[in-house]
Amino acid sequence: MSFSDWVNISDPLANPNSPYGVTENIPYSVGSGLWEIIGGILAWIINMIVPGNRLSPWLISDAVTNALGLVLMVVVFFAVIFIVNLTMIWIERKVLGRIMDRRATRIGPLGYLQCLADGLKTFLKEHIMPDKADKKGYMWAVSIVIGSAVLIAGMIPLSPRWFLADYGTGLLIVFGIFAVSPFMILVAGWAQNNKYSLIGGMRAAAQMISYEIPMLLVFVSVVLMAGSLNINDIVQFQMDNTWFIIPQFIGFVVFMVAAVAEAERIPFDLPEAEAELVEGWQTEYGGMKWGLIMLSDYFRGYVACALGVIMFLGGWALPFMDELVIPEIVFLLKVILLFFIMVWARGTFGRIRTDQILNIGWKVLLPLAVLNLFIVVLLKMGGVF
Amino acid sequence: MAIKYMDKYPKNVALRGWILKPFLTTFKNMIKTTIHRPVTIMYPYEKEWIPDNYRGRPGLVFEKCVGCGICERMCPTTCIELVEVEDEALGKVKRPQVNVGRCMMCGYCAEYCPVEAMTVTPDYELAGYTREDLIYDPYQLKWENTTIGMEVHLEEHLPSNLAKGVTDKPTAFYEVDRPKLIGEKCISCNRCAKTCPVDAIEMIVVGENAKGKPIKHPKIDDSKCVFCEQCIVICPKDALEINEVL
Amino acid sequence: MMTSKMWVTMGPQHPFSHGLWTLKVKIDGEVITDAIPIIGYLHRGWEKECENRTYPQIIPMADRLCYSASMTWSHVYVMAVEEALGIEVPERAQYLRVVADEICRIQSHLMWLAAMGTDLGNLTVFLWSLREREMFLDLFVKLCGQRLTTNYPRIGGVRNDMPYLFERDCMRVVDLFEKRLWDIIALMDDSAIFLSRMQGVGRISRKEAANMGLTGPGMRGCGVNFDVRRDDPYEVYDLLDFEVPVHKDGDAYARYAVRIEEMFQSCEIIRQAMAQMPDGPVRIKVPRNVPAGSHFARIEDPRGEALMHLISDGTDKPYRLKVRSPIFVNVSGAKRMVLGTRMADVPAIMGTIDMCLGETDR
Repeated sequence: MSFSDWVNISDPLANPNSPYGVTENIPYSVGSGLWEIIGGILAWIINMIVPGNRLSPWLISDAVTNALGLVLMVVVFFAVIFIVNLTMIWIERKVLGRIMDRRATRIGPLGYLQCLADGLKTFLKEHIMPDKADKKGYMWAVSIVIGSAVLIAGMIPLSPRWFLADYGTGLLIVFGIFAVSPFMILVAGWAQNNKYSLIGGMRAAAQMISYEIPMLLVFVSVVLMAGSLNINDIVQFQMDNTWFIIPQFIGFVVFMVAAVAEAERIPFDLPEAEAELVEGWQTEYGGMKWGLIMLSDYFRGYVACALGVIMFLGGWALPFMDELVIPEIVFLLKVILLFFIMVWARGTFGRIRTDQILNIGWKVLLPLAVLNLFIVVLLKMGGVF
Repeated sequence: MAIKYMDKYPKNVALRGWILKPFLTTFKNMIKTTIHRPVTIMYPYEKEWIPDNYRGRPGLVFEKCVGCGICERMCPTTCIELVEVEDEALGKVKRPQVNVGRCMMCGYCAEYCPVEAMTVTPDYELAGYTREDLIYDPYQLKWENTTIGMEVHLEEHLPSNLAKGVTDKPTAFYEVDRPKLIGEKCISCNRCAKTCPVDAIEMIVVGENAKGKPIKHPKIDDSKCVFCEQCIVICPKDALEINEVL
Repeated sequence: MMTSKMWVTMGPQHPFSHGLWTLKVKIDGEVITDAIPIIGYLHRGWEKECENRTYPQIIPMADRLCYSASMTWSHVYVMAVEEALGIEVPERAQYLRVVADEICRIQSHLMWLAAMGTDLGNLTVFLWSLREREMFLDLFVKLCGQRLTTNYPRIGGVRNDMPYLFERDCMRVVDLFEKRLWDIIALMDDSAIFLSRMQGVGRISRKEAANMGLTGPGMRGCGVNFDVRRDDPYEVYDLLDFEVPVHKDGDAYARYAVRIEEMFQSCEIIRQAMAQMPDGPVRIKVPRNVPAGSHFARIEDPRGEALMHLISDGTDKPYRLKVRSPIFVNVSGAKRMVLGTRMADVPAIMGTIDMCLGETDR
């Protein structure tokens, strides 16, 4: 049998095993198409060596194409988010460099490949663990921190046709997993057997738990207004009516401040306050472990900005030009815009103090979030939305 | 008395700009550095302009040097040492050798050099692989494009001149200070004449002693002398002493 | 419930300690209940080394006392020797020394401002301050050939006269700097976050400051109106018209404000000194042996009152040279300042002391 009999790209929507049914999903299409090429070539080669074997038809059967197509789809989805994150790191370094009147990144075109060079450097470093550290806590904490960050990054759809799973609980799960890492940071701070780390871990736990509450209140008001937890429904509601930033501007501000605190960025980077606690809860982490923690910071920053875009800035929609633009690009551009504001704040402000950060969280943001909820309830009762 | 620059701000702290003005300031700077370039100088590829009188490592103009050793004596870190070198044109001469690893770049050797042979150079990239690499012999000390700007001139005014109202005649200690002979201590040993690097000392017969041998005293040629004090140091009977002119 | 307190050692290699020193703090949660400053990691035997050097050879060594106040330290040494010799320095040299001193004061304060910025987590302030500082270091390069170790004053004058066009460059730098300093101030004084970090922490009263012997901005921030430049004028400071900034509060913000205002005043002093500068010689010849005696000179260092006590024995080397370092005294107030504050306040408060360990440990 010839090559073209093995490698034939069929319509992924026609696959009876597809979990997405008839919904168009670009990563799934790309994934299953990739497997049909790779698996088809494999099957062709195997069939040439052993003609008439049973492995070759199995490799390109619908079930196997679906299963391995899903694996490749995850890889494709993650690769896109990873590149977006590298771009965000690059933007942060470039913007900070320009704000501070200095050169920023150097390697590659416009310094874009500097992050890869740094990643390679951290990757090549030696694995060092403090002698009296709690080994399990030390290693598991960093795994879960990066794991939860990547997980929630994968849960955010870039558009109705670019997602991993479309599920009813939507934002609830994202917020739930977003709140996991503070506990692991506490564990990491304890496990390192270092006073700075311990204080940093305690600060992280206190700060993140107290900023979780205004964030969730804002989330509740958004869900209340949209009438659904599903991300697609929330964005569709905003496309039908108006972006939530207009009725809920207070909520947007509260959410952004809380998001900066959740992502541990200046001015709320107390857990790793380098002036007094050498590197905070990351003090004893070195090499690639530190690199992964840094990466998870940026993943969390990405998730925070993406949530802000979904909840307040209309997601992947642009007013009056629904058909003209590619929704994934619009979504990512909006994410980067929000991220730029976070970077700008980092270049402008210093760090604030522990008691002040809690004061802001409990005495300013919480009442504002409740006020926002009231406004939403009034609007809902008044029948505006 | 009070803090003057605060007058621009309202007394009540609550009325200040809070966060808007910092945001605007950084944004302004970001735009400015994006349009123009940042002030950073990318060091290995581009270097800052430095003036001629930049005090890097010491340099030496081999031909001008007389081997007087003033630099050796003035050096605060004793990194200069006079070594004998066999030069093709000049024969066996004494020239300074500098341990750049110890040098503190104070520029005293150039400042006090009576013949402007020692200079400062704008050479500041001095890393070497071993400590021996950092010991610069007289030939290594040379700097290709020695300019006049690298010479540091010692311009002192004598207080006596200033008291007379003469302010336009700067001088230096090596032009006015001279060794002074205390005649009765001299034993005619001739060592000062032998050691003088500029041959300014001539032994002159001033009389005869009881045994009929001639008594020789050094006579110092003021125009040649650079006041390096080598004769004073070497004199076995302390017959020469410093005569400072103020 | 039993609460346990914990000693945290901050230093000697710690981002908050600009130099090698340790602050051991006892914390109860985040509140500091006890503190011990420990210094002495950088002791080099400086005073003993000086006893083996001739008088001119000590000038470049005095530069090495403090990396950012090199000019003032060699100046105070030179003044002590001139006091012992009993000579009068030419007037132009005095003006040049004043100009160099004020350039040194501004660049030292900018170095402090940069460190203050990193202590508070604001890297922009750090880089902007260092950018402005470069201009003043360039002035030093032009004037005397080196950026930090100036080696400029000499016994009986200064090393060289002003180079070509130095006055023009100086005026340009000062004008530009005054304009740009407002940008940095906008990041600090206009920022609510900065004010909330600095105001009301590290408070020290006027009486305590006087009893501890604090000098410099630390003392003027407490309301003590004293400045060696004005109250015990040396060189030509009595001919110049400037104001001594004094703040009543005594907290970290007061010390910050005093230093910022001092920079503006230094610019003013440079302008006046350049305008008044007479022509004439800049250096006179001095004898190499200093008559026996005991003399001292004091000066307003960027960090406080610097004093050198010289005991000479009639040879060309000093018998004893004692340094009174302002930071050595100011750091004794560290405990009083940090008690009762939070751990996050430690960098903010200690940053306003402006540590320099070279002169503290000598």
